[in-house]
Amino acid sequence: MNMPAKNKFNIWNILALIILSFFLLFTVYPLFLVLKKSIVDPNTGAFTLSYLTKFFTNKFYWVTLINSFKVTIVVTLLSVALGLPIAYLMRKIKIFGNKIVETLIIISYLSPPFIGAYAWIQLLGRNGVLTKFINSIFKLQFNGIYGFPGIVLVLTLQSFPLVYMYISGALKNLDNSLDEAAESLGYTSLERVFKIIIPLVMPTVLASCILVFMRVIADFGTPMLIGEGFKTMPVLIYNQFMSEVGGDDGFAAALCVIIIALTILLFLIQRFVANHYSYSMTALKPMMPQKEKGIKNIFAHLFVYLTVLLAILPQIVVIYTSFLKNRGGQVFIKGFSLDSYRATLLAKDNSIIPNTYKLGLAAILIIIVLGILISYLTVRKRNSLTSTLDTITMFPFIIPGSVLGIAFLFAFNQKPLLLSGTAIIMIIAFAIRRMPYTIRSSTAIISQISPSIEEAAISLGASETRAFTRVIVPMMMPGVIAGAIMSWVTVISELSSSIILYTNKTQTLTVAIYTEVIRGNYGNAAAYSTVLTLTSIVSLLLFYKLTGKKEIGV
Amino acid sequence: MSVSIDIENVVKRYGDKTIIDGLSLMVSPGEFFTLLGPSGCGKTTLLRMIIGFNTIEGGEIKINGNVINNIPVNKRNMGMVFQNYAIFPHMSVKENVAFGLKNRGLSKQEIEDKIKEILDIVKIDEYKDRMPDKLSGGQQQRVALARAIVIHPQVLLMDEPLSNLDAKLRVEMRNAIKNIQQQVGITTVYVTHDQEEALAVSDRIAVMHEGKIQQIGTPRQVFERPLNVFVSNFIGVSNILEANIETNGGERNINFDNNYIVKMDNLRDDIKDDLKVLVSVRPHEFIISKNEEGIKGIIKGSMFLGLNTHYFVALEDGKEIEVIQNSDLSDIIPNGTRINLEVKPNKINVFDCNSQKTLIQVGEKHEYAS
Repeated sequence: MNMPAKNKFNIWNILALIILSFFLLFTVYPLFLVLKKSIVDPNTGAFTLSYLTKFFTNKFYWVTLINSFKVTIVVTLLSVALGLPIAYLMRKIKIFGNKIVETLIIISYLSPPFIGAYAWIQLLGRNGVLTKFINSIFKLQFNGIYGFPGIVLVLTLQSFPLVYMYISGALKNLDNSLDEAAESLGYTSLERVFKIIIPLVMPTVLASCILVFMRVIADFGTPMLIGEGFKTMPVLIYNQFMSEVGGDDGFAAALCVIIIALTILLFLIQRFVANHYSYSMTALKPMMPQKEKGIKNIFAHLFVYLTVLLAILPQIVVIYTSFLKNRGGQVFIKGFSLDSYRATLLAKDNSIIPNTYKLGLAAILIIIVLGILISYLTVRKRNSLTSTLDTITMFPFIIPGSVLGIAFLFAFNQKPLLLSGTAIIMIIAFAIRRMPYTIRSSTAIISQISPSIEEAAISLGASETRAFTRVIVPMMMPGVIAGAIMSWVTVISELSSSIILYTNKTQTLTVAIYTEVIRGNYGNAAAYSTVLTLTSIVSLLLFYKLTGKKEIGV
Repeated sequence: MSVSIDIENVVKRYGDKTIIDGLSLMVSPGEFFTLLGPSGCGKTTLLRMIIGFNTIEGGEIKINGNVINNIPVNKRNMGMVFQNYAIFPHMSVKENVAFGLKNRGLSKQEIEDKIKEILDIVKIDEYKDRMPDKLSGGQQQRVALARAIVIHPQVLLMDEPLSNLDAKLRVEMRNAIKNIQQQVGITTVYVTHDQEEALAVSDRIAVMHEGKIQQIGTPRQVFERPLNVFVSNFIGVSNILEANIETNGGERNINFDNNYIVKMDNLRDDIKDDLKVLVSVRPHEFIISKNEEGIKGIIKGSMFLGLNTHYFVALEDGKEIEVIQNSDLSDIIPNGTRINLEVKPNKINVFDCNSQKTLIQVGEKHEYAS
């Protein structure tokens, strides 16, 4: 809209400036410090490449990068190999209980990967139930699924849901008449899959691949727990930074820079793919799942059920474990009890759960307010200032959590900006990291609101701010809430930055689960995980209820 | 208490592109004034300058003589009906209508009364508690109209309000709009690209093209005496034929190619002999001749539309034209029939081939002039 008021200092520009300074302070400045520390010698203040050289000349270090790539590539490929066929089967064939299957897939996606790692250790670790079972039957000396295969197993099962959700969404926008047109032109069912369906969903496949790639390469908890000797970049970063013998800031910063460079590259590829290889489709008549008969039907059901069972297995194991009788949380004895819950939820002075909720809700509040304003400003008040805002707010999306955590500690470790150790630093880290979900869904909804709605309000005598608060904000709410729930679920399952930023006073559920697992106290970890899973499920149901949709925006 | 709108030499620029360059017009108090033109002609741009969504880069817009260029939109007190209605989807019909009243310091009772009154006028009282998504297109249109009028604006602006409705509803709603406008007596500027709609509702029409006004006049004037070829083509269907002027003493004739000569008595006095002209003949201004006189052609096709029958006729030079005859006059003439076409000299319009402007006398008295 083109308002007569040419005043540059109108309320919108002032708001944009305030939000921009917030992001400059909490995103750009910390990241700038990381870059600076990675190339400046702290003693002389001179430019140095020694940290980067140290990484690339020492096999102990650079091998982690190779490891990260290995894991990421294999996981991405396997995720597509599982996600694509399941998405197609679920759209094409009527799978019994498909609603539940879909919900289970989403739940397995929402839970933090490291819980999967810890659950699989219980099943296939050195003393795992399945390991013992296999070894006793086949007289083997199988030593547990650690290292590369373990990481791949856990991350694949956690990542294919993302591919599934993306492709499922694309297939829903694929009009059935396209398939019918090909059929009428004489193509067989299989030919149609390869000539019509796959080419049309290919851009989506690529987009989801890159997202999986970014998530996996930045994941810290899984390789930390199940990787053992097999170290990846995020693990190296964490170790270098947190090392008991005095972490090396400069080297850790250099590692951060390397991984940021990688993720930025991936992000640019993703943008390119999205801009150049997407078809805009809206289906008047989407594909309808048909009942299948015979072997095809059995095979489809088996494939879907088995995969989903594997994906949801960690959750089942965790919930089951949480009810086992145990001594001090470490040694399990026969029978069920609420011991683990007694030791955690009901323990005196246990502030972990209230912490999680308090910090999470505070972060969500910031996310909602800023999310609404940012999406409004970037869509409706397009200028150089808001474009900058648009770019900067997407930054955190590509910065791995551990990198953000380290950057925050670099930046806010001394007066006047002494924030480390406070709840505020945690809240801001959560808010910044998970805001993109809310911004994206808010932006989507505001793009659908016709500008004339706002003009109508103004022509009726409302001021711009009144038109915004009384008309635009209420109309945006469904999209904002949907995004905020997604932000919420990811905030409470956030580990990689909180593990670096937390103190005893600001411990959250994920941090508690992680530390309990490291201590070997699986009972307590299971009880905390169950609380986390339940919170996610309730949030998901709330999301369904509020949006009336059976799918989530990813 | 209706107001006049004076638009004086206004200029609209986007960057270094000038969309409207010094346009002037005047709307009388209580008038239903229409801006008509093809898309991109600048009509919506001009409308949005009047309400204030677009800035004015030059010239002035005055309401009752007072310049309003720098008054913000929300202080202009103008009602606007949008192309997509812009109904607030999260408010009921009543809340939508009440929105503009709420920040005017009226008492609850006053607001209630005003809403009641306007909902009666636009005939949607029974739907007042419904949400917009439960309304048909026509009903939403009525809500949009009620919401714009209820604040008693000085001026009512409508931006293609009927373009989202189906054909039948469009006719019904344009009658409703016309009636309501007359009832309320508010100065109205209406934007449309649909010439039939413009003819139906307007007191006066400004035909626009490429940011310029081509003609301002009553519906009859712009339809029957277009000032240039563009207006002639844009409003209604016109067949444009090439011809030459033949002067013979005080007589001025139009000579069509095959020596069909028509005597004219309303051409300008200063016309020179042998001037190349374009003759605009509406399909119903042809007479299928019984004698040998007329422009020769062959019937290529016909379309019976009840009251009238349309013929598609190929002339000797290959040009295809459309002719409309009252169906009662004769049986449908079969394809391939050779016919002669005469024109009605007092109806046709003649334009200079170069300037494309009319050669009909200014202020020419014809029987329908208003």
